[in-house]
Amino acid sequence: MQLRRSRRGRICRTLGLLTANLFVATGVQAQDSNALPSHDASSADVRGATDDTQTDLGMTRIDGAILFYQEDGGRVRTIEPVLSATFNSTSGDVLSFRFTSDTLTGATPNGAAPWTGFQTFTTPAHAPGKTTTLTGSSGGSTLVTIPGIGTVVRQYTTAPNSIPLDTGFRDQRYAVDLGYSTQWNADTKLSFGGSASIERDYTAITASLGAARDFNHKNTTVSAVLNFEYDLSRPYFGTPSPFTVMNGNPKGAGASKEVYNAVLGVTQVINRRWLAQLNYSIGTTNGYQTDPYRIISVVDPVGAPLQYLYENRPRSRLRQSVYLGNKISIGPTFVDISARYYHDSWGINSITVAAADRVPILSGLYVEPEVRYYRQTSAYFFHDYLLGSQGLPTFASSDSRLGRFSAVTFGAKLGLKVFHTGEVYLQGERYNQSGAAHPPGVPSGLANENFFSGASSTSIIAGYTYAFF
Amino acid sequence: MRSRPFLAGSRLSFVPVMGIIAVVLSGCVGTVAWDRDILAKQAMSLNTHPLITALHDHIYFSKEGSSGGRTTDGGGCGCN
Repeated sequence: MQLRRSRRGRICRTLGLLTANLFVATGVQAQDSNALPSHDASSADVRGATDDTQTDLGMTRIDGAILFYQEDGGRVRTIEPVLSATFNSTSGDVLSFRFTSDTLTGATPNGAAPWTGFQTFTTPAHAPGKTTTLTGSSGGSTLVTIPGIGTVVRQYTTAPNSIPLDTGFRDQRYAVDLGYSTQWNADTKLSFGGSASIERDYTAITASLGAARDFNHKNTTVSAVLNFEYDLSRPYFGTPSPFTVMNGNPKGAGASKEVYNAVLGVTQVINRRWLAQLNYSIGTTNGYQTDPYRIISVVDPVGAPLQYLYENRPRSRLRQSVYLGNKISIGPTFVDISARYYHDSWGINSITVAAADRVPILSGLYVEPEVRYYRQTSAYFFHDYLLGSQGLPTFASSDSRLGRFSAVTFGAKLGLKVFHTGEVYLQGERYNQSGAAHPPGVPSGLANENFFSGASSTSIIAGYTYAFF
Repeated sequence: MRSRPFLAGSRLSFVPVMGIIAVVLSGCVGTVAWDRDILAKQAMSLNTHPLITALHDHIYFSKEGSSGGRTTDGGGCGCN
């Protein structure tokens, strides 16, 4: 009898704990709002790779990862370590901190059109000196002194029949994100966030405020997040005036922009196996949005470059998007399907569809293949080049990110549960952009040139997360 | 010229929209608290790996003309 009573007591305690976990976990998941995210219910269970149901309540979670990113053709290379710490109180309050550092090197398209001959570009120098090779993974730049004037400029020459790349490119960025969310009452959660990102030539500061409220026995969560961002651009050589000719003279003072963004969301438990999220996002940006390093070619009727002008983009931009995310349990697997439709006042419309499926392999080990498809239309001021015989448009940019293209991503993630609350994860993916290499109506001398300068890349992320009391 | 009604003549759009409405109207949306065993699993979280999501968002923001949707999107440079 004694043994029987003891067993019954253990069962009751276990059921009680499980029920508490279910209430807490589901509530937190339904409020997976847009502040700095944390692992919501992410302690490991040694029984399986996808069966863990414990929460981080009262625990501190450390999460660290590093990204290795390399674009094809010796272009941009990034190494980006990230470390986050999330402190979860027993009452549901969450304080989170994230530190990011990234180092960028390599070459990036400068915006000029390809040509059948060599092209030499002259920009202001970063520093005085004689003849010095600057950082570059696929060539170098040269500092030269212009005779008679004494001005030191940087020059680089690109090969015929190729997308002109600026190889003297290197940057270092540090970013800090802070987030705090608190349970205002039984159904309402408030969140506050802030971040600062500092590069040698760019600074961004953000502040956010959010609220999420549960309805319908925690089956429905309605959330709203407001975000403000202030950016300050300080190009190495100053800010060039739009549509002025590229040269080695120092440019003007830095320029700023402000971004206001709001996301309204509904998270809904559809049924026992299906969680869905629907977001509407609207944001407005005002201020300097031109790329200070990017130029656009002005060509003659044959296609030969006449001059290179600094590009010019509109100062205001209104962006809207609708996002639908789903997490569905199908048998032993967990499927993630999302779609986004985006529209902005620059004329870019895009669709994004992504899917992933987490499949348990062995005890504690799972694999998650992923696929993503993206397609966008071009901004109304996108031009591969400008014709010298025609007048300048109001705005113009040859940045391929503002042009029409599609992109496909294939990837996979491996996760291994370790030490009860920990996980080692490894994710790799291949990203390929494709667009029009030979736009219609190009001058005869450019008929065989490849104009599409979009990127293709390979990235690997390795990380480890662990929670403790 | 009359404007084209929303979704008019588009079966591909019409079917999923009506499907969602049907699910909502059926009263089957949601579940009771003691039936949330699967929803409580970490794998059912909408964002299982926040750092991977943040790193990917940074890559896509830097290489594509659109951003945001899942979370708030800011400005940033994206010049490289």
